[in-house]
Amino acid sequence: MSEERRDDAEAPEAERAFTSLPPAPRPRIPPVTTAKAPESTRRGLVASVGASTVQIAQEVGGIVVLTAQVLRALVPPRIDHRELLKNLYKMGNRSVPIVVLTAFFAGGLMTLQTGPFVKKFGATGLAGWGAGYAVLREIGPILISLMFSGRVGANNTAELATMTVTEQLDGLRALAIDPVRFLVVPRVIAMMVMLVALTVIGDLVALLGASVVGRIMLGIEWSSMYYSFADNLKPFDFLHGIYKSIAFGAAIAMSSCYFGVTVRGGAVGVGRAVNAAVVAAAVSIMLLDFFLTYLTG
Amino acid sequence: MKAWISSVGASAIAYASAAGDLWRVYVGTIAGIVRSFSREHRRNRPRGELARQLHNVGNRSLVFIVVTLGFIGMVMTYQGCLQLGRVTGDYSQVGQQFLRLLVSDFGPTLTALMLATRVGAGIAAEIGSMKVTEQIDALRMSGVLPIDYLIVPRFLACLVMTLLLTVVGGTVMYVAGGLTAHYSFGVNLNTFYDISQVRPRHLVMMVVKAVSYGAAIPVVAGFCGLRARGSSEGVGWATTAAVIGSSFAVIVLDFIISAGALFLTGGDL
Amino acid sequence: MAYIEWKGVDKAFGGKPVLRKMSLAVNRGEVMFIIGTSGVGKSVTIKHLVGLLRIDAGEIWFDDRRIDQLSERELAPVRRRIGMVFQSSTLFDSMTLAENVALPLRKHKQLGHKASLAEARERLAQVYMQDYAERYPAELSDGMRKRAAIARTLALSPEVVLFDEPTTGLDPVSARRIDRLIRELADNLGVTAIVVSHDPPSIFGVADRIAFLYRGVVHVVATPAQLRASEDPIVQQFINGRSTGPMETPGF
Repeated sequence: MSEERRDDAEAPEAERAFTSLPPAPRPRIPPVTTAKAPESTRRGLVASVGASTVQIAQEVGGIVVLTAQVLRALVPPRIDHRELLKNLYKMGNRSVPIVVLTAFFAGGLMTLQTGPFVKKFGATGLAGWGAGYAVLREIGPILISLMFSGRVGANNTAELATMTVTEQLDGLRALAIDPVRFLVVPRVIAMMVMLVALTVIGDLVALLGASVVGRIMLGIEWSSMYYSFADNLKPFDFLHGIYKSIAFGAAIAMSSCYFGVTVRGGAVGVGRAVNAAVVAAAVSIMLLDFFLTYLTG
Repeated sequence: MKAWISSVGASAIAYASAAGDLWRVYVGTIAGIVRSFSREHRRNRPRGELARQLHNVGNRSLVFIVVTLGFIGMVMTYQGCLQLGRVTGDYSQVGQQFLRLLVSDFGPTLTALMLATRVGAGIAAEIGSMKVTEQIDALRMSGVLPIDYLIVPRFLACLVMTLLLTVVGGTVMYVAGGLTAHYSFGVNLNTFYDISQVRPRHLVMMVVKAVSYGAAIPVVAGFCGLRARGSSEGVGWATTAAVIGSSFAVIVLDFIISAGALFLTGGDL
Repeated sequence: MAYIEWKGVDKAFGGKPVLRKMSLAVNRGEVMFIIGTSGVGKSVTIKHLVGLLRIDAGEIWFDDRRIDQLSERELAPVRRRIGMVFQSSTLFDSMTLAENVALPLRKHKQLGHKASLAEARERLAQVYMQDYAERYPAELSDGMRKRAAIARTLALSPEVVLFDEPTTGLDPVSARRIDRLIRELADNLGVTAIVVSHDPPSIFGVADRIAFLYRGVVHVVATPAQLRASEDPIVQQFINGRSTGPMETPGF
């Protein structure tokens, strides 16, 4: 309140002279954010670190429990085929354009970054090696998964979260239909299948992007790029990316479904759930990438 | 055929008008920053909002950035050494080249990609929720421009924090990468941590990239949030669009800036 | 023993008690209304019956079987016998009305896709919604959605149907149509109906008996005529809708 009074005192006289009425109070500006005040300013640092640790533990635990439920629902594998097909179609349809574009740029970027180095040493024959290797093993799967998580994972969270806050999940339960079996299982399978398929497509597009950029910007011939790929890349490099994408797909699917079905509190909750899901997916992609790389070399 | 053409036309128009709206949000943000220096607006400015946004974008992303970039730094050096081992077996260049790539590309780009998911989605979720609960209209009714009030502080916060987090994230990547090279491949730490290959232009590139990403993320995300419609479903859509839009903006900007730098430096990055 | 019975049920949300030793018995084939002010636990009471919420203490019996401790899987057969119509309809957005109604048929009656859709259209015709079978819920009015939701619930021919505020938010004409539907279900099909409501015309027009919930317990159970004649000041205040009186209404 004291701030408002000070503001009025500052207002120029001309503004007031038109009326003999006391000046209207400044419009009260509604609260700026829907988020709570920063926690560490309200509590001590230790307390807030403890609180977020507890929260992360809860979320990880929740995802593990949901994974167990999904696996259990798979034991007699009665998957709802219509729901599975619908999701496969929808997810693939939605994500192909963005994945293709991303992959093309990613491939081009790898040539841009490794190309000058290769050229400096006059080893254009190795240009495809650097770019192709980075694309197939790391950049391809990671970027494609991140984009997939943003497009399909986030969308899926939003959809499930909307169903949860509008009680549609309770509606299913009241019809004696298990939401995990009916909604979550087909989505998890569809996401895993789709991400693998998209990684295959994306890898090829990225190699194409690397060649195009190499040709246009660095003047590397198509044929030398091709032979450079063919000579230096081994099937195992490709497979390395593919099995990573299986793990990433599972991680994206589980975190996206978990935050979708546990959402609380209307529209605000849905936005937060989507945010939490993409963050969790990004962290798990990085962690899985690390462990898979070390485990398999 | 006719239907196909008209549907393509309709979506082209929709994209064009969305691009126009995005541009208007961007111009509005810049105008808002300029306006915020005037006396009248300085009084209107929400107090402490910038500090809160700095905290929100920066401090609260710190752990996330450190964890993700730390791991990816380890993975990248590991893969790089593995490949070099396969071809030449000479690890002496790994550290220098890793640092060069890190400074000129991976550091800012990966940091921004991570921020796009955390901060971009957060901004869209928050502004989108305000939109569908008619709080934005309430702001307008009380004579405040939503862009000045909501997007400008987030824009400034993102600009500053993307740069700072790039430095932090890059450092973590570098340290983690060096330790990996040392413990897994026996690369001498002094050989790895050799910064002689970094030229001023690499640093310039890092700053340019970080600032561009920092400017793009809040504008794209805020735009998506302001476009939210309906109820919870609309907020979900807005958040999704923000994640994908700001990530893609980062990748495209990276490509444009890298290609531009390549032309400017004449192929010697 | 009664057909459905709540025995000394306790339920608290975040430390705040909503139901306190609540007991209620419903007979087979009757239309029981549960009434009371907002937040008194009416919806909570019926959600316990199908296991959407879990009670803190007490027992719930259905057809001589205790059901409050069943697991989610064990509840499935119970839920096939007890249908529920939610306040917000909860039709699935991504499906047409026919697909919505066909879903339980496909899942529980092992019908094929085509057969289930055909039967779904018949079910929709029973609630006069056959013309809208191919429309999506978002395109329809609240009353239409409510009727489609009722058709979906009735698809499994439940013995008991729970209605959570079926007439709230509807215009008077649609509301009376829903009332008539509930009455017909009980009279023609012998369905037991438990209706949560605070809409006086449907309370007095449809109910066989009325349970008045107040302060976490069933304050009184009576026929509509008895309730009208009741001299209890709290009941009088509620049914006459007076803003002043002995009633404790938290939040006002």
